[in-house]
Amino acid sequence: MLEGNNNLEQCLKCNLCTLVCPMMEVNPDYPGPKKAGPDGERYRLKDPAFFDYALKYCLNCKRCEVACPSDVHIGDMIQTARILYGSQAKRKGLRGLRDWTLASTDLVGSLASPFAPIVNGTLKLKPVKSVMDSVLAVDKHRTFPKYSAKKFVNWFRRQDQSSFSKFVSYFHGCYVNYNYPALGQAFVKVMNSAGYGVHLLEKEKCCGVALMSNGFADKARRQGEVNLASIRKAVAAGEVVLTTSSTCTFTMRDEYPDVLGLTNGDVRDSLMLSTKWLYEKISAGELKLKFRKNFSKKVIYHTACHMQKMGWQVYSIALLNLIPGVELTVLDQNCCGIAGTFGFKKENYPFSQQIGSKLFEDIRRSATPDAVVSTDCETCKWQIEMSTGMKVLNPIEIIAEALDR
Amino acid sequence: MRFDAVIIGGGYAGCTAAGILSDAGMKVCVVSEGLSLSVSGSKTPYAAQSALQKRGVTILRGDRAVGAKVEDGRVLGITTRNLGPGTMLEAPFYILATGKFFSRGLLSDKEHIWEPVFGADVEYGADRTSWFDEDFSAPQPFMGFGVKTDSSARVYVGGKALENLFATGDIVAKGCKEANVTKLIEDYAGRE
Repeated sequence: MLEGNNNLEQCLKCNLCTLVCPMMEVNPDYPGPKKAGPDGERYRLKDPAFFDYALKYCLNCKRCEVACPSDVHIGDMIQTARILYGSQAKRKGLRGLRDWTLASTDLVGSLASPFAPIVNGTLKLKPVKSVMDSVLAVDKHRTFPKYSAKKFVNWFRRQDQSSFSKFVSYFHGCYVNYNYPALGQAFVKVMNSAGYGVHLLEKEKCCGVALMSNGFADKARRQGEVNLASIRKAVAAGEVVLTTSSTCTFTMRDEYPDVLGLTNGDVRDSLMLSTKWLYEKISAGELKLKFRKNFSKKVIYHTACHMQKMGWQVYSIALLNLIPGVELTVLDQNCCGIAGTFGFKKENYPFSQQIGSKLFEDIRRSATPDAVVSTDCETCKWQIEMSTGMKVLNPIEIIAEALDR
Repeated sequence: MRFDAVIIGGGYAGCTAAGILSDAGMKVCVVSEGLSLSVSGSKTPYAAQSALQKRGVTILRGDRAVGAKVEDGRVLGITTRNLGPGTMLEAPFYILATGKFFSRGLLSDKEHIWEPVFGADVEYGADRTSWFDEDFSAPQPFMGFGVKTDSSARVYVGGKALENLFATGDIVAKGCKEANVTKLIEDYAGRE
């Protein structure tokens, strides 16, 4: 456990965390956040042999920490225990290969991107899915996010940003780069129309969230160091570093210091989701967005778990409400169940879908044929698109679409 | 971020106030730290918050008020841990409903008891031995401790009642007045 982060003695055993744990509801093998976190930590400190392998079921959604009245770092304790004591549980053989492949978003992305049409086509084939299911234990029901033939960074290089005098830096993340450049393009459009040019970071690596949850903490730490060095350079040049993914943001702001032990206090406040930055600039009167008058969209907003942990859904909601013609429904905060790479694994798939069912039901109830779902998290997007058939957009995409011009 | 009312505390007292205010058409924000346990079950405040959110109340769940901007005896805004210094929650009036010790409405060490958001005046015995009764089942004096309010339930800070900060629920000291939310609607509706 990271020194200073272990506050298990603050736990009053009230069990509010148990009440809100989505895994607890569907999986009797999971001991729950109280037992897995502060209770188990007490034993693990005495002897690591007390480490319970059922901790692998933790989604790291952090709903326990949001509910805790005593600020106990329940989720961090579980994550750290998995890193410190669970490494011998790192899977070997084919499942190990699967975990490594799922975690290596950067590498797999760069390999898949040039062959995107082939890769996308192949991953859709039933026989391929069956083989992956039986050999690699990647569930055959899962739809893979499509790879993009053109990487975001390649598109961005041809965008002339030299006419601007003010700049923001953009941490695009793996998903925007390899799978979904449209979101990055929407971000550039919004920033440019707000009068800001966009810079990319000098070097950007995957934030490391998938590495951490698959037992590759050292690699995550190394990538974190690269990211923080680049972020520091951007901040030193007077730029704020903006993102469009709630989980990347949460990982770099909170998991870096709390779980990986990286120091980011000097740049933490300069790293934020673009919706927060935009909203604060707009309300301070420093920035204006001009929206189309004839825009109309029914939007159902889903608060991702890490978004709730940061507490920043208010910004995305407030921005969407600023767009004339947007009719917004905000859903109750429920976990979608995918938890990054967790839901891709065969052994987890049924839990994943059971956990998400409450959210899917909520979405179906509010959905009309012309409605879209909006959320700041890409893996929630995959899960909701696959499980409900609804189209899911990042708030930035909706803003870009609604802009005048 | 501007609202018609900002409520600090999302337990029973805060949710009740939020319900009454939002029924009157006010735009309300509730800053809700971890919830408290209760006889009616821990799911009840969650259900209340969820119902409020459907009615348009903004709930900052898991967030904590960490600072208040006070000038000339008036609260101008509060900041929270999650939203950071860049966002000030502003409203014509504020309701403090953070409860007592378990919900961190009141903090204490061996000699002092204090209210962390505004540094409000807390009524408690100077002598620590008067805080509790050694008979476990007797009514415990510390349960009567809380913030001091005036006849309109305005909260005292540094010996002076702040003009637009009201208190309700468990955080109010025994014998002090709790906010009359209906009266607040009359006083503040249509002001902004």
